Amino acid sequence: MERAIETRHRGLIGVQPAPPEAVVETAQRVRREAGFPVGWLIAPGVAWLILFLVVPLASIIVFSFWTSTGHGMTPDPTLRYYHEYFSSEGFFDPESKKFLEPGIFIRTLWSTFRFTLTVMFFCLLLGYPIAYFLAMQVHSFKWQMALFLLCMVPFWTSYLIRAVAWLPMLGRRGLLNDFLMSIGVIDKPSTVLLYSEFSYTMALVQLYVVLCVGPIFFSLAKIDKDILEAARDMGATSFQTFREIVAPLSLPGVAIGMIFIFVMIMGEFATAVVVYGGKTTTVGTVILNYYAVANYPFAAVNALMLMIAMMIGVVIILRIVDIRSQL
Amino acid sequence: MKTKHEDKSGGTQSKRIHRREFLGTSARAAAAGAAITAFPAIVRAADPIRSVGLGVSVINEIQAQASRDLGFTVRGQALGYGAMFGKMLNQNDQYEVAEGYYNDMDVMWPAGVWQPIDTQRIRDWDKVTDLSKTGRLTPESNPGQGDAPFRHLWVDENGKYVEGPSRYVTMVPGWHNADSLGYNPDDTGRPIESWAELFSEDFKGAVALLNVPQIGVMDAALAVEGLGAYQFKDKGNMTREEIDFLIDFLIAKKEEGHFRAFWETFGQSVNLMVSGEVVLESMWSPAVTAIKAEGVPCVYASPKEGMRGWHGGCSISARATGKALDQAYEYINWWLDGWAGAFVARQGYYMSVPENVKKHLEPDEWDFWYEGKPAAKELPDPFGTIIVEKGEVRDGGSYWDRFSNIAVWNSLMDENDYLVKRWTEFLSA
Repeated sequence: MERAIETRHRGLIGVQPAPPEAVVETAQRVRREAGFPVGWLIAPGVAWLILFLVVPLASIIVFSFWTSTGHGMTPDPTLRYYHEYFSSEGFFDPESKKFLEPGIFIRTLWSTFRFTLTVMFFCLLLGYPIAYFLAMQVHSFKWQMALFLLCMVPFWTSYLIRAVAWLPMLGRRGLLNDFLMSIGVIDKPSTVLLYSEFSYTMALVQLYVVLCVGPIFFSLAKIDKDILEAARDMGATSFQTFREIVAPLSLPGVAIGMIFIFVMIMGEFATAVVVYGGKTTTVGTVILNYYAVANYPFAAVNALMLMIAMMIGVVIILRIVDIRSQL
Repeated sequence: MKTKHEDKSGGTQSKRIHRREFLGTSARAAAAGAAITAFPAIVRAADPIRSVGLGVSVINEIQAQASRDLGFTVRGQALGYGAMFGKMLNQNDQYEVAEGYYNDMDVMWPAGVWQPIDTQRIRDWDKVTDLSKTGRLTPESNPGQGDAPFRHLWVDENGKYVEGPSRYVTMVPGWHNADSLGYNPDDTGRPIESWAELFSEDFKGAVALLNVPQIGVMDAALAVEGLGAYQFKDKGNMTREEIDFLIDFLIAKKEEGHFRAFWETFGQSVNLMVSGEVVLESMWSPAVTAIKAEGVPCVYASPKEGMRGWHGGCSISARATGKALDQAYEYINWWLDGWAGAFVARQGYYMSVPENVKKHLEPDEWDFWYEGKPAAKELPDPFGTIIVEKGEVRDGGSYWDRFSNIAVWNSLMDENDYLVKRWTEFLSA
């Protein structure tokens, strides 16, 4: 109990002096009196999660071992779909041009992962300064909120509309091409702007950057301005202040933002169709394709592998930043 | 509320309350000035039937007209292809009629989600053309490779496939069409007369392909055959070697930058041509009118190798019994009766009983849509918007010309899983 109260009073820097005895007593009394059974409070949430998260997850795992009949599945246990997922023809054959090349599904998972990292990098590069500006440079709370809401404006329209809006911007006869041609940078429309890795990255960054601005903004806004002043008083340069104080204290926000983006983009499949012209495959599209031909076990294997990859990713992020201790 | 009353009092009072509630409802409806239309709707709402399908056949106007003509409500649910497929296969207690497609029959029929349909209960069965019964619309027609309706039509009363004709069928043939390539004649600079043009160097970087593996691969196969690069034994059911050859060919083309995009929805295919991103692409025929409506010239090719056909129709859920089953038959009979056929004809689709459609079309419409003659005047789409200029001619000639030369029908291959895998590799390349 003592510890609990102590942690509750832990400030952002170090341990503050213990609260007066009277306060501790009050806190303990209040706690005892609020004897409402917590079990009942969490029951609806737990039931909901069991029904709509645990059960479906468990069925995905179970189904991945069943056998597809071409129009459904039967509970004949098989490892065939895992073999199909991991196997790669010519992997051990030095003669084959596919020597030591993993199978298409692992390559798809890897490319999805690699691409997600790229997008995360650009989101952080763009999102952090936005959040920093909002939290540190805008002093009026009213303005902070107003500008923050402005960041959220894109969310007022549908996700798909935001993706589609890139087409008239980047297309062969799009605004950007028109502009580049009018100032004479290019003499015929460039086709690399749309239906390319460029447009895909750009659209995803634009679609998801806000997801990291929010958390980073909140963790930056929480930083006690007195600490920054103290740092300045003690002769720290602004870079030192940032490196020693601001950056570490904003890490939880960064981590949460990155987890959001990571999870969203790993499961992404719609944007690739719209702005990449379907010229790539993500794990999402693979799952969809196999669902569409009623090969549910194989779709389940792909879904599981995606989930495992996501879990590993989230764990790595949480390993780098210990959110629990810093929030 | 009602149950409370029923619990407390006996049957008599509850009956009275029923009646009072009912009168109350209709009085409110009358007050709203909708008594005449709303009243029968309340009575009918008791036992509607449900139909699922694609937006091709499930359109508000069609099921509303069916409800008016039949005296019971037909609730249509239009879904995307994947959702439709999943619902038909996994939730046959959620619909009575499946407005499905013959190329899915290899999945749906063995799954037992549908029941054999007794053709003796289909009023106009004799008028259904031979296109779906024997595969030959005219005696000299080429039935085409792949999942042609006649290969998936005939069953016995227990649902076992038999060599036709027999008394029972899997699906009553309905709307159908033949697809090919659409192009912008201003940009191509020449008429497109072969599937091979899909791979022409002239259009490098300005070509799009349909991103549905089962169908996209057929368009590609027709093009490869058109080039003379390969001869498939059966494009409707390729072997692994054939799939490998084709996908390797496609990967090489993709790496050269031949494809501008792969489209998945009708709207995307329209947008690609309207925005000038592509000059030639695999296309569904209603896209042509949509593109022209945007002021962009577009022609639907009728390649010399023949078109790629597809055929839809109505099946009945295995769960439908009793009154619901009778109503399902009535709805299917209504589909063949011509009104719906005329409706979809104005979108460019054909029906399995053309003579009934003719009764519901104006002669000028019939001449244009079915006979392939120049339009004698401006013609509307089903919603009344003018989409055909006077003098315009439908691409691909008359119905009988078009359907006597189907190169291949949309199909589900035995090696479908392998195909999907290789297609994934193609798109990742």
